[in-house]
Amino acid sequence: MKKLLLKKEIDAFRKKAQKLEHPREMVIDLLRAIQDHFGWVPDAGVELAADILGVPPIEVEEVATFYDKIYRQKVGRYPIHICDSICCWTRGGEEIAAHLQQQLGIKLGQTTPDGLFTLLPTCCLGGCGRAPSIMVGKRFYGHLTCDGLDQIIARLREEAVG
Amino acid sequence: MPTLTIDNQIITVAEGASVLDAAVALGIVVPHFCYHHTLGAIGACRQCAVTILEGSQKGLKMSCLIAVEDGMVVSTCEEESVAFRGQVSEWLMTNHPHDCPVCDEGGECQLQEMTIGAGHGIRRYRGNKRTYTNQDLGPFITQEMNRCIQCYRCVRTYKDYCGGEDFGVMGSQQRVFFGRFKDGPLESDFSGNLIDFCPTGVFTDRANRFRTRSWDLQQAPSICPHCSLGCSTFPGGRYQELQRVRSGGNRLTNDSFICDRARFGSDWNNHPKRPREARISGEKVEFSYALELLEERLEKLVEEYGGEALRLLGSPRASFEANLLLKNLAEKYGAPAPYYDAHPRRAFAARMAASIPSGQLASLKQLRDSDLILMVGVDPLAEAPVLALALRQAARAGTRIVALDPRPLELPCDFEHHPLTQESLLRGLSAPEENELLESLRQQLEASQRPVLVGGGELLGGEGLRLLLHFSESCCGSHDCLIFPVLHGPNSFGGGILGATGDSNRNLIEDLENGNVRALICVETDPAIEHSEPGRMQLALSRLEFLAVFDHLPTNTVATADIFLPTRTIYECAGTFINNEGRMQAFDPVLEPGIPIVVTGSGGHPPRQFETTPPGSAPRSAVHLLQWLLKDRNDLFGLRRQIVKELPCLRDLDRLEAGDNGRRIADCGDKLEESRTEIWAQEGELQVLPITARYGSDLYSRWSQSLTSRFEEPSVWIHPVEAAERGFVNGQKVVLRTVVGHFHLPLVFKAKMARGRLIVPCLPGTPLEVFTPGGLSLPCKIYSEVDNA
Repeated sequence: MKKLLLKKEIDAFRKKAQKLEHPREMVIDLLRAIQDHFGWVPDAGVELAADILGVPPIEVEEVATFYDKIYRQKVGRYPIHICDSICCWTRGGEEIAAHLQQQLGIKLGQTTPDGLFTLLPTCCLGGCGRAPSIMVGKRFYGHLTCDGLDQIIARLREEAVG
Repeated sequence: MPTLTIDNQIITVAEGASVLDAAVALGIVVPHFCYHHTLGAIGACRQCAVTILEGSQKGLKMSCLIAVEDGMVVSTCEEESVAFRGQVSEWLMTNHPHDCPVCDEGGECQLQEMTIGAGHGIRRYRGNKRTYTNQDLGPFITQEMNRCIQCYRCVRTYKDYCGGEDFGVMGSQQRVFFGRFKDGPLESDFSGNLIDFCPTGVFTDRANRFRTRSWDLQQAPSICPHCSLGCSTFPGGRYQELQRVRSGGNRLTNDSFICDRARFGSDWNNHPKRPREARISGEKVEFSYALELLEERLEKLVEEYGGEALRLLGSPRASFEANLLLKNLAEKYGAPAPYYDAHPRRAFAARMAASIPSGQLASLKQLRDSDLILMVGVDPLAEAPVLALALRQAARAGTRIVALDPRPLELPCDFEHHPLTQESLLRGLSAPEENELLESLRQQLEASQRPVLVGGGELLGGEGLRLLLHFSESCCGSHDCLIFPVLHGPNSFGGGILGATGDSNRNLIEDLENGNVRALICVETDPAIEHSEPGRMQLALSRLEFLAVFDHLPTNTVATADIFLPTRTIYECAGTFINNEGRMQAFDPVLEPGIPIVVTGSGGHPPRQFETTPPGSAPRSAVHLLQWLLKDRNDLFGLRRQIVKELPCLRDLDRLEAGDNGRRIADCGDKLEESRTEIWAQEGELQVLPITARYGSDLYSRWSQSLTSRFEEPSVWIHPVEAAERGFVNGQKVVLRTVVGHFHLPLVFKAKMARGRLIVPCLPGTPLEVFTPGGLSLPCKIYSEVDNA
């Protein structure tokens, strides 16, 4: 069973929270730390974060549900954000999205049966100069072609096995 | 003050007002959602667009955000702003379902009105609408998120204004959701305000879902009877059933907010056991027969034993007019002046509060505008919930709030709490210059511009309020230090005014016990519940030759009365209450009395019996009964004019209208020089303090079935250090021995309460109901259940 956070991390966050005038400023750091450990943020993760920060759970939930890079539902090991904003759209973003869906056999918002990939549309990754683009986990990929995408997927599959 | 022109009409408004305020003052409708005068403007809904023709910022602007300027010219009907508002309305409506025919808000929906007002009548959008899964928010409120237009008024009401911590806004864009982290009842004591503030049907009254259209309701402006604050309400009912209570709008008192006790605790009016027929020794009789018999017996009694053998007991629940007529009745029969509260210490507190010069009393508005608040012996959420809201508004504006109280206080805002025992508080007030804390607070109050002292009549009693009044006089620097006394019932203050003229050293229970008193008339009160020693009172009542009771609650005393006459509730007759700051406020009848048709018809058609009066319509108002006994033929207005002649301090009484802001009493003249010696226990002796519970301690909550979900479990509270010294653990079962009996209760640790004391909340329907709040703490002993065995 994966843990939300290690005990020493929880202690470190608590210590830091005590020193801050407004502990809630750590909410994103905490949610990301939980996500790094657990893969996503379950309800218990929101409650843990609220407990560490000394705020009601709803205040953590408000932030957690606002950002699309905080996952409040289970995602695959490699969540893939596909940009569907205007620059990527002009440079073939739709083909990229269609190609990925076809290669992985899933639709946007779904996870592959092996639990490796989740496809998520996103409105802009800030990489308009390198459109079309995607983001896998925290890694950004730009100037994409269908071939390039296949290589990325193959590499990630290898990484997962190794 | 700036003068401006809106749609060719000229108006002068206060500096800082918005263009929207000015338009509203002129009666011009500018559609808006997110703006509310208590919440302020945030310019989120974009609905209130107008065109500024002359002014420093010209063109299309949001009228709620633009401050008025002198010489400004505004048009609400320029083509551009009309088109803008229509377009915004159309956007809002793209996701709003067309379910008005099945929506409870229909007919009183701001969205309906504003959409039509903005000129958007025909939908063009034919696509799918966004949908949500609703949450279960508990027994009071139903959520229907599909109707949401994202105006954010609910979070601003619940979190910002009321200080609730379990409600918020989640998601972004099309997924924005207003609700709780997880399903569950809303925790705030002010959650019901969501119903009033949501401009559409997202949050509606759960108990009355699908029952009544707003236009079918009988409604009238009224006053909340649950505590002494006298919040303005707007109750509505239908088919002889009181169905809902909404907030009224008195900017000097509760503004637009009421507590959940006021809103959801009104079904005592429809209580299935409510006594609706006259009874003689428990047997149902004709109303007029019972009344004539009462008169006959009273006359016989007075003839045989003289007026001294009769006592009269009024109540903080009864209207001021009824209490005053009781005084006239005493004069007619030569009986001593009536008592106005069965609880002697509360009655003294009310007399003391009524003797405070009118100009020194603070209103809730003054409290919201205060710059330093010292609360002495008050638990707002239990004794006067809307006071807690006013404190929060003061705190939001940066006001410091200091509380001296033995209870583990909770407030929806930051405050400093000094947990002192009741006795050390009273002792401190009796010699404030010797008390370091009080002396430093006195200096700070003296240096403040708008300081207010809040004093709890229940904990401090009359003696404590007297000391507090002296303390406030020593705090008057360049400005007066105002006092906000918190009393027991909606008309406690009125009883205080009337009681001040009587001999204050009398005591009802001693009168009854010494054997000379043979008859007692109780008007809308149950002394066996409300007296500080209920058991002793019950015994004393049983010795009476005859006991006459006028009431509308199913109390034990009603059941044991020799002559019982049912009265109308405040929702069924007109009258006046005088609230804790001496504000006279009138209420109008909402309904005619009668058994609700939903009961008589068991949900179907009402029974086809042909009678001239509906079943259960016998109750008469207490005023009517007393006037009959007095042969007084005045109508209510005539009665009020008569009162004004007798009591000049109530000179505005005959100018009152239900639904207005009420009128303050003038100074009553004589200052009460009454003082009572109370024996305050020493520190170190273990004592138990019975306190008002948040829900259930006032008699109306006690008989409101809808509130039972909020009643606490009975328990006895202790400070953890105190418990550790005695070897107790949290949650342990203990035996509490007191003079009123012994109780098996779980022990609950409360770290924020005073040391050396135990606390029990007085809860109806539990063994703890024999305690009455409002007295001094009682000696007690505590054992663990095992040791006791």
